Amino acid sequence: MSDTLSRRGFFAAFRRPFERRAAPVLPPVIKAEQPAAASAPVAKVAIVQGRFCIALTSFCAACVERCPVSGAMKKERGMPMVVADVCTGCGICHDVCPAPRNAVLMLPRRQPSTPQPA
Amino acid sequence: MIQRREFNRMTALAAAAAAAKARAQNAPAAPAASNDGIAWDKAPCRFCGTGCHVRVGVKNGRVVAIEGDQLAEVNKGLLCVKGYHVGLALYGKDRLTQPLLRRNGVLEPISWEEAVETISQKIMAAPEQFAIYGSGQWTIPEGYAANKFIKAGLSSNHIDPNARLCMASAVTGFLSVYGVDEPAGCYDDLDKCDVLILWGNNMAEMHPVLFSRVIDRRTRGERVTLIDIGTRRTRTSEFCDHYLEFRPHSDLAIMNGIAHLLIKKNAFDPKFVEKFCNFRQSPKDPAASPTAPLNGEAMSFDDYKAALEPYTPEHVEKLSGVPAEKIRMLGDLFADKKIRITSTWCMGFNQHSRGTNANRLCHGIHLLSGHFGRPGDAPTSLTGQPSACGTAREVGTMCQFLPGGLQILNEEHRHEAEHIWNVPQGRIHPKIGHHTMLMWERFCTPAEKGGDIRTIWVQVTNPGQTLPNLHRFFKAKAGQPDKFLIVSDVYRTATTELADLVLPSAMWVEKNGMFGNSERRTQQWFRMVRPPGEARDDAWQMIAVARRLHDLGHAGMKDKDGRFLFTFKNDKGEEVPVWEWPRYYDVNVDKALFEEYRLFSRHKHKDLAPYDEYVKARGLRWPVVQQADGSWRETKFRFSEFDDPYVKKGAEIQFYHSVTKDDKALIWFAPAEKAAEEPDAEFPFWLCTGRVLEHWHSGSLTRRIPQLHASMPHSYVEMHPEDAREKGFTNGETITVRTRRGGLRLPVWIDGRGHPPRGSLFIPFFDERLLCNDITLGDIDPVSKQPDYKKCAAAVARA
Repeated sequence: MSDTLSRRGFFAAFRRPFERRAAPVLPPVIKAEQPAAASAPVAKVAIVQGRFCIALTSFCAACVERCPVSGAMKKERGMPMVVADVCTGCGICHDVCPAPRNAVLMLPRRQPSTPQPA
Repeated sequence: MIQRREFNRMTALAAAAAAAKARAQNAPAAPAASNDGIAWDKAPCRFCGTGCHVRVGVKNGRVVAIEGDQLAEVNKGLLCVKGYHVGLALYGKDRLTQPLLRRNGVLEPISWEEAVETISQKIMAAPEQFAIYGSGQWTIPEGYAANKFIKAGLSSNHIDPNARLCMASAVTGFLSVYGVDEPAGCYDDLDKCDVLILWGNNMAEMHPVLFSRVIDRRTRGERVTLIDIGTRRTRTSEFCDHYLEFRPHSDLAIMNGIAHLLIKKNAFDPKFVEKFCNFRQSPKDPAASPTAPLNGEAMSFDDYKAALEPYTPEHVEKLSGVPAEKIRMLGDLFADKKIRITSTWCMGFNQHSRGTNANRLCHGIHLLSGHFGRPGDAPTSLTGQPSACGTAREVGTMCQFLPGGLQILNEEHRHEAEHIWNVPQGRIHPKIGHHTMLMWERFCTPAEKGGDIRTIWVQVTNPGQTLPNLHRFFKAKAGQPDKFLIVSDVYRTATTELADLVLPSAMWVEKNGMFGNSERRTQQWFRMVRPPGEARDDAWQMIAVARRLHDLGHAGMKDKDGRFLFTFKNDKGEEVPVWEWPRYYDVNVDKALFEEYRLFSRHKHKDLAPYDEYVKARGLRWPVVQQADGSWRETKFRFSEFDDPYVKKGAEIQFYHSVTKDDKALIWFAPAEKAAEEPDAEFPFWLCTGRVLEHWHSGSLTRRIPQLHASMPHSYVEMHPEDAREKGFTNGETITVRTRRGGLRLPVWIDGRGHPPRGSLFIPFFDERLLCNDITLGDIDPVSKQPDYKKCAAAVARA
């Protein structure tokens, strides 16, 4: 699992079998933010992966609490959720997530499709 | 060839079968086979007092994985965010790896021989001016070794653990109500209760796994009513059916209000009260005898009724701010015998300058209403440290106790301890030692002004951050060359800043150990990895110094027969010189110390099983009593005939260590009083301090765990939005919080994690860069000597 999102990393995550019980091998130290790639920044959006989120056992809500955008995150039945339309993709929720496997995934935002004439 | 899916199914089945078997017999499952070179073993978590068990995965001499232990009854495979990362606590970059001595203001590396010699010389020079400041994070054998070393070896009682800052009021509460320490109930009450009252207890953040156990019942469709009675909205409040917010320090009024209603409506349990209870109040003359404040004086039921008379719901509303109708609701709940009520509390009651009384009153309303002695009906205190019960309380590392609940002030108890320790009668000093606050005050006071403590040895705790009013109780040590501070720790902390000698310690699974959690559960683990560099076990450090004193001719280090106090033999009956580090693990010193300590445990019916039983189990709750078939049975519910083997047949309930010696518990009356320092015109805010989910206590471990540090990087002050608006503060702005002790600059968090009411502030204490204890008051409870961290008067201003 990489700290910054790459397409390869994202798809690799699907290939890895999910081991519910398996203890995570101690994760690597979070590195300082990587220097921005030379290419133009990609607009992103956060999603919370419920299977890795520890909100229901640890009553953690670090992501909701620290989200700087009002209304971009909410808690539903104790679980944090991203409101994709409001999320600016800043990634703070990802950085503060303390789960053994980071539960917040930063995805490239799909460009809004051009509205079709009625 | 087995299909992958098939294989997974089989292992899942095997695990389930093992879990079921273990649940039935409390037997260990075979260590999980692992084909990736990871060896797994069990250990209790290093952090809080919940006492979850983890499985620790070790590869190439390093802890590489942690998972929740499914065989553990406490956590059933779950862990909280701290628990998942507990293994990383070992691997901070700046582990201490060699002894350091301060020369010309700088800590310089020295050898262990020099370190042991330095300590020994300091003690030899003035043994009566030497003190040990220990910890509820000491393992049981470590605390026992330190206790024996100072009480039997140096004939001094100047030993106290940090539990004085944490559980002391719970201890005096239990002692003065039941005559013996520690809860009657256990965590099973959380599974059975209909109503759970959290008295100033933020369980969702501080004991998350326990809280998830309760919330899980709701998801299964069970009905459990949660009532949060506190001074600030917390994460716990979000899950509660009722949130009752009271004015700080007025919790005693609320409990008196409940008792008032029970009496008024004749809704108490007269049968229970008559059979099992007597009434008590604080003595008019607390100085009459040393035990007077603890044992109080008798009062009649009529006097008790009269004392409660003023606490009408309306009067309580005026005192506490809790609406009268809510007080009536609580009164009705306690009046209903059909439901089962469990009360839990932690620092809200204990860090309270009337903490003992708060504890007493809570037990009192349970006893008065008969909500006691059935599963789910229990007043239960939770601990914050993994072995606050095990090491601080049961091993008796407090200045007034001996192991097993024996008391220094009791001559018979001293003789019993001298007998077990095989030392001459009179070896144990008859006067109780300096409690924590007195110890540090005397240490910070120059000798010519009565500062009779010259050297303190600190192990496994961080007083430079956690003592209240640090300028007075810790920092005043600076610039006094005759005072000598020894610190055994794993990292540099706020305490090592002023240390003269720093000793690198082994921690957690780098050594053998035993802990005792909140519900009387004694747990054991083995060393799994080697400590880094020259770090060594805390118990070894104590024994090595004891041996050096023995060699220097200190008479106290020998027993009646002239043998060294810490003599251990191997299987062949040969003495092993464990004070030589390479020989320390030639024999299981933990086991030897524990088996000796176990002899003490029967006196107060806190019976412990042999060491080897704990090796097999995920902890056992004392009293652990041997059955006719030779097996060992733990006790979940003390004092109740259906479960406690020490209750007489037919007695139903028996408080067999009753203060009044008639098998009855005591229901106390205590008045609601004002706090020592209340907000005024100059300092208009209440200031409360506490913990957060991500960090454990002073943060010396959790702040070195990257995930936890990233999640909660620094301290802050919480404030009500209206107050912030009035002051013109914006969220995140740095402000100054000032009290009569000093000031502190830190960012303000409005509508953050907790929600203090108007006129109230909250600061967490984990951050060593922002020491909130620079400004706390720390006035102490007169009975327990525990300081209050939850209230003092403060002012805020733009930084």
